[in-house]
Amino acid sequence: MGTEPGQEIDPISWLDHYGDTLYRFARARVKDSFTAEDLVQETLLAAYRSRKKFSGRSTLKTWLIGILRHKVVDYYRKLKPEQSEEDLDAYASGLDNLFDVKEKWLVKPGDWGGDPKNVYERKELMDAIHACLDDMPKRFSLAYTLRELQGVTTQELCEFLQTGKNNCWVILYRARMLLRRCLEVNWFNTEK
Amino acid sequence: MRHWIFSCKQITELISESMDRKLPIYRRIGIRIHLMMCYLCRRYKKQLLFLRTVLQAIEEADEKNGEVLSQEARRRIKNKLDQEKK
Repeated sequence: MGTEPGQEIDPISWLDHYGDTLYRFARARVKDSFTAEDLVQETLLAAYRSRKKFSGRSTLKTWLIGILRHKVVDYYRKLKPEQSEEDLDAYASGLDNLFDVKEKWLVKPGDWGGDPKNVYERKELMDAIHACLDDMPKRFSLAYTLRELQGVTTQELCEFLQTGKNNCWVILYRARMLLRRCLEVNWFNTEK
Repeated sequence: MRHWIFSCKQITELISESMDRKLPIYRRIGIRIHLMMCYLCRRYKKQLLFLRTVLQAIEEADEKNGEVLSQEARRRIKNKLDQEKK
């Protein structure tokens, strides 16, 4: 410790050296810049308060990012939805209409085209994804966002949702089904 | 034998689950057999993988982009940290 720039125990120098890195990390995970700025601030404060815990085994940057990662999850936790399981079941029951009684596809998945590269550079697709996620019950969109955007493990996700593994998979399944259906209708327009 | 044969609906559940954990071998085989015969479930699988790829790519691009903390935010955070140090 103490030789590399920003390694000293001074939160102001952390801000100078890693502020932008932390900001970009946060910005990629939350929707608006104000929230991202707040998260950077909370991270630096928390880091300073627990500075004794920094062992020097990881780099300072890794340590700060680790704290930030937790702050992002906390942020999503506060958005935590209050919908009953029954409401969620009712909402998701519409998915059953995609299949016939023999559980074969009734509403056939469209061909979205082969190469995502052509599409994913478009900011609009991301906007469409966000719009679809905003439309579905929070518990689904939250689970999906944490898993696919935040990259949390399923175990962490189940703890976060405070539910058993099986239910966790059901929630993710429903979120994926709702998202792909929503995009199909609103973005890909593969309906005949 | 029954356990190797899944309906389209079951396959959509299994494919989703397979994105979160490694499935037991008989299920993986069941999926593979079903996918060989069913182009709709192949499309579905492709869609889910597409979404995962897209989201990861966008996130990586966002992290690499040149966004920086605004001067104003920097000042605000600095003030807060100064207070904390006292």
